[in-house]
Amino acid sequence: MRRRLLTGNQAAAWGARLSGMEYAPFFPITPQTEIMETLAGWIDRGELTGRLVTLDSEHSMVTAAGAAAATGVRVFTATSSQGLLHAMEMIYTVPGWRAPFVMVNVSRGIASPITLEPDHNDIMAARDSGFLQIHCATCQEVLDAILLAYRIAEHPRVRLPVLVNMDGFYLSFTREPVIIPDAALATRFVGAFTDDDTQFTPRTPTSLGVAVLGGTPYSYFRYQAHQASLNALEIFEESAEEFHTLFNRRPLLIEEFYSEDADIVFVMIGSFATKAKNAVMELRAEGWKIGLVRPCLLRPLPIHAIFKALTGKKGVAVIDQNLAAGRGGVLHGEITGALYGRPGAPPTITSFIGGLGGRDISGAEFREMAVVTHHAMERGETPPPRLLFTQAELASVRKMQATALGSHALPTKTQKGEGHE
Amino acid sequence: MNKPTIKKITDLSPHRLIAPGTPTCAGCGALAGVHQIYDILGEKSIFVNGAGCMTLLATYPFTPFKGSWLYTAMACASAGAQGVRDALDILMEKKRRQSDEAMQVVVLTGDGSASGMGLSATSAAMDRQLDFICICYDNEGYGNTGHQYSRSTPYGAKTATSTKGFHGVKKDLFAIWAAHKPTYVATVTAAFPLDLAKKIEKASKMKGPRMFIMLAPCPPGWHFDPPHAVNMGKLAVNTGIWPLKEYIDGKVVHTLIPKKRVPVEAYLKSQGRFAPLFLPGNEGQIQAIQAHIDDYWALVPPS
Amino acid sequence: MYRIRFHGRGGQGMKTASRILGTACFIEGYEVQDAPRYGAERRGAPMFAYVRVSHTTIYERGVVPVPDLVVVADASLMAIPAAGLLTGCTPQTILIMPPLYAETPPLPFPGVHLTMDMDKIRETQISPSHLSSLWAGAAARLCGIVTETSLLQAVEEELVLLGEEAVAKNRQSALFGWRLMEAHTGCVTEKREPSSKAPPPEWIEFPWDPVSMSAPAIRSPETSRGVITGLWRSVRPVIDDARCGKCWWNCSVHCPDSAITVNKEGAPVIDYAHCKGCLICVEECPRRAITVRPEERDPEKGDPP
Repeated sequence: MRRRLLTGNQAAAWGARLSGMEYAPFFPITPQTEIMETLAGWIDRGELTGRLVTLDSEHSMVTAAGAAAATGVRVFTATSSQGLLHAMEMIYTVPGWRAPFVMVNVSRGIASPITLEPDHNDIMAARDSGFLQIHCATCQEVLDAILLAYRIAEHPRVRLPVLVNMDGFYLSFTREPVIIPDAALATRFVGAFTDDDTQFTPRTPTSLGVAVLGGTPYSYFRYQAHQASLNALEIFEESAEEFHTLFNRRPLLIEEFYSEDADIVFVMIGSFATKAKNAVMELRAEGWKIGLVRPCLLRPLPIHAIFKALTGKKGVAVIDQNLAAGRGGVLHGEITGALYGRPGAPPTITSFIGGLGGRDISGAEFREMAVVTHHAMERGETPPPRLLFTQAELASVRKMQATALGSHALPTKTQKGEGHE
Repeated sequence: MNKPTIKKITDLSPHRLIAPGTPTCAGCGALAGVHQIYDILGEKSIFVNGAGCMTLLATYPFTPFKGSWLYTAMACASAGAQGVRDALDILMEKKRRQSDEAMQVVVLTGDGSASGMGLSATSAAMDRQLDFICICYDNEGYGNTGHQYSRSTPYGAKTATSTKGFHGVKKDLFAIWAAHKPTYVATVTAAFPLDLAKKIEKASKMKGPRMFIMLAPCPPGWHFDPPHAVNMGKLAVNTGIWPLKEYIDGKVVHTLIPKKRVPVEAYLKSQGRFAPLFLPGNEGQIQAIQAHIDDYWALVPPS
Repeated sequence: MYRIRFHGRGGQGMKTASRILGTACFIEGYEVQDAPRYGAERRGAPMFAYVRVSHTTIYERGVVPVPDLVVVADASLMAIPAAGLLTGCTPQTILIMPPLYAETPPLPFPGVHLTMDMDKIRETQISPSHLSSLWAGAAARLCGIVTETSLLQAVEEELVLLGEEAVAKNRQSALFGWRLMEAHTGCVTEKREPSSKAPPPEWIEFPWDPVSMSAPAIRSPETSRGVITGLWRSVRPVIDDARCGKCWWNCSVHCPDSAITVNKEGAPVIDYAHCKGCLICVEECPRRAITVRPEERDPEKGDPP
């Protein structure tokens, strides 16, 4: 057991290494590429056995990953944003093969406009694919989640691929202390690749991923994958318990931070949630009864745990780092859907969209979200969703527009406070 | 062991290793070729399929294969083959599979995929010298969706999206593939089973990318009656429109040079899809096709 | 509402027939819905199409479970349970089809069975490629809600792209079908919307199954032998053993469907359970030892029932 400074990407590579990854189909994309480079370096220096192959695209990469896992080896891969979307046809296909493997997604905003910085629209696009999803807030969680992910993915009651998500830049390129588990313990925890359903041998011929005719067999197979996904809730808890015994850290379905006695709770996923913790502690010091609930497992959605954590709260502020165009925040929809109609469900659930394309969320903004939610509770009226976007930001965009559009820039009606500096 | 066992027509296997009962059209030229290939490769193979007419060969709960099959998607069969091949190699290295469990990985793809969205994955597989056999059954259109033109449709052919005849030129997939310098590239068609069998047997004993383009006469797509399917393949070869050839060791060799080429008109006339070429005023087009074929063969050295 | 189902094989024009009928009713001022339904199989395999005709907006969708009229283009379909010819038929259903094969057992059909006189059709030399119009004409007359003028207009509208000559021949064919059914004009009766007072569905708590069975994976080899594609055939190739030269590399190798096996003596044997009737073997046999016979199924010879 060593504690070292690692980036999120290096932590991911360590997770793959300690899990006994045998095969890694890859395709480079910022901000994920460091994972692949780290693994390639280890393989080249003989520190890691395993085969790394660069495919021609993420679509091909996910196909190769699923095909290899279905054939019977332990597979690791990673991607980000445009790559995840490029692979989307296969992201929906390989869970249907019931091929267990682990894929890291380093979250990054989606074009257009193209950007390098993080938000969660990429991973949300894979939300309903059949992949399980674990969302990480620290580099340590990235490493731990990968070990855990193999356990869950390969469990006979699950047999589905898992996406482990971390935020680009905020985790991927950020070094922080990470405990690297003992290799022998990690091997003991993850276990050997279970190929008790070995297929594609001359003795056990298999035709996999075949077409069906009609809605009845289609419904059956799709719902079986859903059932297997739901089984993962139980397997997660079981595996987390064993993880705790071996490594003295407990992976969580949901993280509850000062939420037990709170009236108001922030709900968010990913690394920005640690910023929320700062705000919670500051507000608590001022006497606010406030906390944070962070779902770590998003698929399957731990509905009961979320309900248990939020029941009896007066107000919930859901902060979405994604934007479902024409709807608003995806997480807000997930949380309200999970709570609706249940006794003790919070009467006020506000919605905030923030952190798009890596835009920071300041402490003052967390405070204001708490204030808005508090007012909503008192008035018994929930305000419409709010994009975290300030006067100063609009002014900066206006300045860019003046350059970009030149004489084509139309004079805009100057709103209160708006104007060129 | 590496000596060819198939030299004459009677050396072909009398046993059919692929089962009947598939949903392909009566007279399917693609299935005809696939069964001839399977008769040689047999159950120690895994076919990795890209979306196309052959996708429905295995439709739950029915499969015609003694061996294995993986359906991927339209663009990525060759990437699926990479994953399977690599996994098999790893399993062999680690002795989790026995040596008698060695298998050929075979990509099965239509021309629409091979000449379009599947080209990238297949090109990359050749770049990596992937040890696989790739079979493109070329029915010269998007057959599975009702025969719209693909980039493999020949000039003048009527399809569901070129009702007055296709104005493009058939993409030269053989040249594109050969430019990658893979182990082997060959053209075949089921109407010449001995030529096909010799090439598949030869390829099955090689390593690396072994690429096949198989002309697959298609009764509904080409508008001819099913009994004539084999004759279409014969005419394609005997007119010189479908040269039977192979690329090996950097050279292209023709495996069957028609002694006297039948005029292309015989081939064109036998299929309803070429009707636009026979409309008044289009006489020059058939001459141009003939000239194009003559030009091709003028450069082929006599065997 | 009138609910009409057309059954045929891919390539027999029953989709066109359904559209001609649909358009004819539409011209008459009815609300209409028509659609074809194919399986994975191709030309030669069973398919069906359906038409709904109503005075008011049609809210039903999808296949017609209880038909008022069933039109069958090909008597050989009777042998294929999966074709579902008689599904949902009631004592009020009208069935029109070519004569049944000799020795076919009585149909488990509760309604009124009419037979199309195919001999008369052959006499008129109507081409098989124009039969879709004939079936549309017959169906129109049986429903009794379409005038001759609307029927002919519908033929023209549906087939205009085939050219004048084809339209003229199809109009002739449609009229012939129309006239053949004169004695039964309007025998199809209109039915009300079906009641939802059926027994409630037996929904289950969906079981979780292990991945060995819950993935779309086939783990038994060669299961397609269980698919009797021999039922697609309308004529059969027959090998004359006396003339057969045992050169199986012509017929067996060229059979796309692996439906010609080679016995121990080296002689080819046709697997009628799977032969789709493409007749490539007939064309490729160098000795002309394979002939085409009309289809007649004999279960005692191993034919599909």
